Amino acid sequence: MVSSRLLLGLGIIVTIAGAGILAPLIAPHDPIRTGSVFLGLPTSENWLGTDDLGRDIFSRILYGTQTSLVIGFGAAIVATLIGVPIGLVGGYLRGKTDLVVVQMIDLFVALPGLVLALILTAMLGPSIPNLTLVLGFVMWPTMARLVRGQVLQIREAVFVEAARALGGRDSWIVYEHIWPNTIRIVSAQFAITVSFAIFTSASLSFLGLGVPPPTPDWGSMVREGFQFLALRPLMSIAPGAAVTFTILGFYLVGSSIER
Amino acid sequence: MTAHIIRRLLLMLPNVALLTFLLFVSVASLLGSPSAMMLGQDASPEAIAELNAIYGFDRPVLVQYADWMTSALQGDFGRSFTTQQSVAEAVLPRIPITLELAFWSIVLAIAGATTINSIPVARRFIGSSASGLAIVGITVPNFMIGICLIYLFSVELRWLPTTGWVPWSDGVGAHLTHLIMPVVTLTAFYFGSFTLVYQAEYRAVSRELYIKVARAKGLSETRVSFRHILPNSMLPVITYAGLSLGQLVGGAVVTETVFSIPGIGRLFVESIGTRDFPVMLAIGMVIIVGVMLMNLIADLVYTAVNPQIRLG
Repeated sequence: MVSSRLLLGLGIIVTIAGAGILAPLIAPHDPIRTGSVFLGLPTSENWLGTDDLGRDIFSRILYGTQTSLVIGFGAAIVATLIGVPIGLVGGYLRGKTDLVVVQMIDLFVALPGLVLALILTAMLGPSIPNLTLVLGFVMWPTMARLVRGQVLQIREAVFVEAARALGGRDSWIVYEHIWPNTIRIVSAQFAITVSFAIFTSASLSFLGLGVPPPTPDWGSMVREGFQFLALRPLMSIAPGAAVTFTILGFYLVGSSIER
Repeated sequence: MTAHIIRRLLLMLPNVALLTFLLFVSVASLLGSPSAMMLGQDASPEAIAELNAIYGFDRPVLVQYADWMTSALQGDFGRSFTTQQSVAEAVLPRIPITLELAFWSIVLAIAGATTINSIPVARRFIGSSASGLAIVGITVPNFMIGICLIYLFSVELRWLPTTGWVPWSDGVGAHLTHLIMPVVTLTAFYFGSFTLVYQAEYRAVSRELYIKVARAKGLSETRVSFRHILPNSMLPVITYAGLSLGQLVGGAVVTETVFSIPGIGRLFVESIGTRDFPVMLAIGMVIIVGVMLMNLIADLVYTAVNPQIRLG
């Protein structure tokens, strides 16, 4: 059964992704070129007005979609590539290997993700590929923990026992029988990881330590607009709404697959 | 109990050592050569080497770490590269500010999530909208909540001061008015996640036999809810609160920046911006040790309120 929550989430994602892919076609202005009207009010020319450098806010929001989606999906892929194998191995082999896995996961889960991401981004230098790697690295433990928990249950199932009785090798059992049964939880967590990667990346940019200018990025736009909040509230609230909307879309999808 | 606490504290030590070492290595590699940064672009290699030797940056990382840790344990975190102020003096007075912010937010989130979701009428009428509200709390970034609050209550309505921090000693009223918006900003996320955790447990507990018995005795729905279901649904919320303290620190960093609150979170962001090595290290260590201690406290509270867990 498809829940209304899932549909709402998918609707948001399709809208956002459409806006991002079509940005070069539908954006009325160049998102980086500066104009002559600074802090302009919304007009038929600049739908959401212009920022302090005269750039069109609406076009920047459209292009900002690309930045967010690239970082969000990239980070989720990195987190999945690290977290799933570790979770599978720890949960299936148990024993000493599992102990090491659990120790590692516990160590990371207790740490403040944002603070870790701040240090690592500063270390590697703020750029979109580095942010993607850092956020993926910060988020793999949650993925690993969920997969491990799922595997601990599946490995006791009768069909796994049957596979073992057939004389199957461990690698074959994990690949053919265990992994397919974790796909549901992995895809749910994938969507949630996308949402939290976008959340964290926007926070880093808001702090001035994320995506470097002049790349159109929602978090950086909120930061720039924040100083003009009393004068031009749209300058920070519009990109903030875009990022919130995107996070919500992926969170809704992830949390409705989970159930 | 005392023996248990001491053992847990000892078990923390290797983790603290490992994490602070990783922190030290990352910060050290981040700077490459702090001397080059301090002297600027035109510095000669000789001048950089000389300053490296003065500060000891030319020694192996492990030696530098041991050195730093030894002085840190004696309360000496060095001097800030930018202000030349003693790091301990710069960081210490800011810790209570961040702690106060975090304390009120956690208390408000736990109290709010458990009471609102226990009121029978509220459960009947806003049951689903409460989880809608929870999702909003989880997905709206703190900076967005903060900015919207500032716009609404400071810019438009002019009810509350925009930003800044007034200590208790300068007036309780001013302290509280400066505290409200940051606390609400920081609470939103936790209110959201605690609501989801609490609602799930509440549903499970309300199916228990003793709840049926309580209802059969003719107790009012409010009494059943607050006297019998609530206390038995608190545990997962406490565990979850303990686990999410790390995230709370992240939220505090953003919230302090939005509201210009002079806590350790804002100082941390500033120190990364200016590459202030000693300050970054000191705050990193405070955060690591702080989060681990808080986790331990949450664990102990959990053990104390749950008689089923025996200390072995």
